[in-house]
Amino acid sequence: MSGRTLGGFVGRLAAVAALAAAAVGVAPSAYAVPSFARQTGMACEACHTVFPELTHFGRVFKANGYILSNVKQVQDVTGKKEELLSLAQMVPLSIMAQVSYSQMKTGVPDLASAGAPGIAQNGTAGFPQQLSLFYAGKIAPNFGAFFQITYGNDSGTIGIDNTDLRFADTTLLPDNSPLTYGLSLNNNPTVQDLWNTVPAWGFPYAASNATVSPLAGTAIDGAFAQDVAGLTAYLYWNESLYAEVGGYRSAKQGQTNELTGGAGPLDGSASNAVSGFAPYWRLAYEYNWDRHSLEAGLYGIQFRLFPGGAPGGEIPLSGPVNRFSDVAEDVQYQFVSDEHQFTLAGTHIHESMSLDASTAGGTNPKDSLSTTRFWATYYYRRKIGGTLGYFSTTGSTDPVLYPSDATLPSGANPGVIVSANGSPDTRGWMAEVNYLPWLNVKISAQYVAYNKFNGGGTNYDGVGRNASDNNAFYLLLWFAY
Amino acid sequence: MTIVTRSLVWLATSTLLTMGAAARADEPDAASREHAQRIAITVCGTCHGPNGNSVQPKYPRLAGQNAHYLAAQLKAFRAQTRGDPDAIGYMWGMAAQLDDTTIEALAAYYAGQKAEPSAKGPSATVTRGREIYEHGVAAQGVPACSSCHGADAHGTQEFPRLAGQHAQYVLKQLASFQSNMRNVAIMHGVAQNLILDDMDAVAAFLESQP
Repeated sequence: MSGRTLGGFVGRLAAVAALAAAAVGVAPSAYAVPSFARQTGMACEACHTVFPELTHFGRVFKANGYILSNVKQVQDVTGKKEELLSLAQMVPLSIMAQVSYSQMKTGVPDLASAGAPGIAQNGTAGFPQQLSLFYAGKIAPNFGAFFQITYGNDSGTIGIDNTDLRFADTTLLPDNSPLTYGLSLNNNPTVQDLWNTVPAWGFPYAASNATVSPLAGTAIDGAFAQDVAGLTAYLYWNESLYAEVGGYRSAKQGQTNELTGGAGPLDGSASNAVSGFAPYWRLAYEYNWDRHSLEAGLYGIQFRLFPGGAPGGEIPLSGPVNRFSDVAEDVQYQFVSDEHQFTLAGTHIHESMSLDASTAGGTNPKDSLSTTRFWATYYYRRKIGGTLGYFSTTGSTDPVLYPSDATLPSGANPGVIVSANGSPDTRGWMAEVNYLPWLNVKISAQYVAYNKFNGGGTNYDGVGRNASDNNAFYLLLWFAY
Repeated sequence: MTIVTRSLVWLATSTLLTMGAAARADEPDAASREHAQRIAITVCGTCHGPNGNSVQPKYPRLAGQNAHYLAAQLKAFRAQTRGDPDAIGYMWGMAAQLDDTTIEALAAYYAGQKAEPSAKGPSATVTRGREIYEHGVAAQGVPACSSCHGADAHGTQEFPRLAGQHAQYVLKQLASFQSNMRNVAIMHGVAQNLILDDMDAVAAFLESQP
């Protein structure tokens, strides 16, 4: 969701550092939308193995613009039977809540105790951690929406969350194979995607927002979620071959132009403003046989960013830019039967950075960063199951991008969110068990274990904290109606 | 065949024949057929395959299915009178807003599609299944399936085609008849004494049939 914690960095390079910090480990938004079930009259299992993971039918429903509706419509037509209006007699609204409890292996310093830091209370209750309202469903004959607004207990505010507005239609080619074509207007690169491999939809589907996140993450890995607006066009042939291109531009929330007092134009107080458009592309192929489904694909984006500054430290949005070029591969295998649901999925993202706008501040001129994640999920009768996942981020050492000192105004360096050796390398495992008493209610227990955190296994922050101190237990009640 | 099951077969046959005669008066026109083809490929096809030859065994193959039977099932989904689990979870919703014309046209579309032969080959189970299909299981009072569904398992307008159907789908339906979740008196009578191994065998045989 919006309002991500960007770490405690200030100064000229805050923007780049913040971008690096934004992506990983922050609680992802969550998605489960019973309004689709009401609209289609179909049970959750038609579109999901277990929410939020999509089945083939769910992917096709999404590609078709969320418009499949099996409820009575209020309609209007012309004399030539052109549809002017087709409005469900029921508003497709849903509410989703997450209530959670998070506990780290070792608490973090309490910055309130200056000089001789104590430990912040370890064990955080989120009630709710997140509460979302969705408009999810058909708007017009070929126009549908997935629109989410979210209250988060970290920001304590309500804000725009993942949004995907789609126009879509399907035509039959001469050989009678269906070709779906559409447009997506969305605010998070990959949120429009159909597979549960990409950053916006991959495992973990829910995570704590009360633990420590590693510094580094690639740009496509959620760093620009709800911070951009993108228009993409896609083709989906025979429910198997998928191709998409589009572009994103900054669409910042809560950003005020210092001169006009309005939402724009963006000025030097805006950090990481996109120069022009960030091109996005996606290619994927899915093959279905018997109860199996296999997908392999590629996706990528290239951001050209003005680092900008912050109010009081403005940097003009002109001159050199920092380039973040992300190319990723993804694979997903699903076995879906009534008894057993098994999924193997993963993605590898490689990012090349050219930091022309930040080298004067001491960054390397070029850096690279790679993230790999894969996981296996099993459910028995969609009732009880679990996921085991691995994650790894490796990249160039850059002590400016991944600093060793999070010096606070008090002069203390509490460590924790820094890297003593300037390396972004982070690696670990996640295990999760889930129980669904009903298909729209999930109870989860999750454990995240780090072998390496911000470049080290032991004393990674230079003040005595080990990677495993950030291991965390997370208990979650997640439901949607 | 016991006297009771013979009577049930006769009763169901005569009732369905009467219904079938009435329904055939309502043939879909060209526009309805075109509309139905589009729905069949772009909506139904996601599960049942664009021409009704579904690849996933959860979803029945509809290609070559008898039109009257298909229409009756769609109407039963719409009326929420067919109550096996996937009917409730999937088809009650999908059929909720279908009008009679579209139902007849969809049924005609699938009836007109060529059923692709299954890749399933002969086996001991298939041989046992053929025996049950053709002769029933006398000791348990199970009648021959072929007496209603035909020697080639292509059915009639009243009784569904079973040839080439996914074995897993047939098995689930037999279980639903047995438990009466899918409440069809004649099939409950047939299935109530069928043991699982025999269901397996007859389902495997049916899947192997062209």
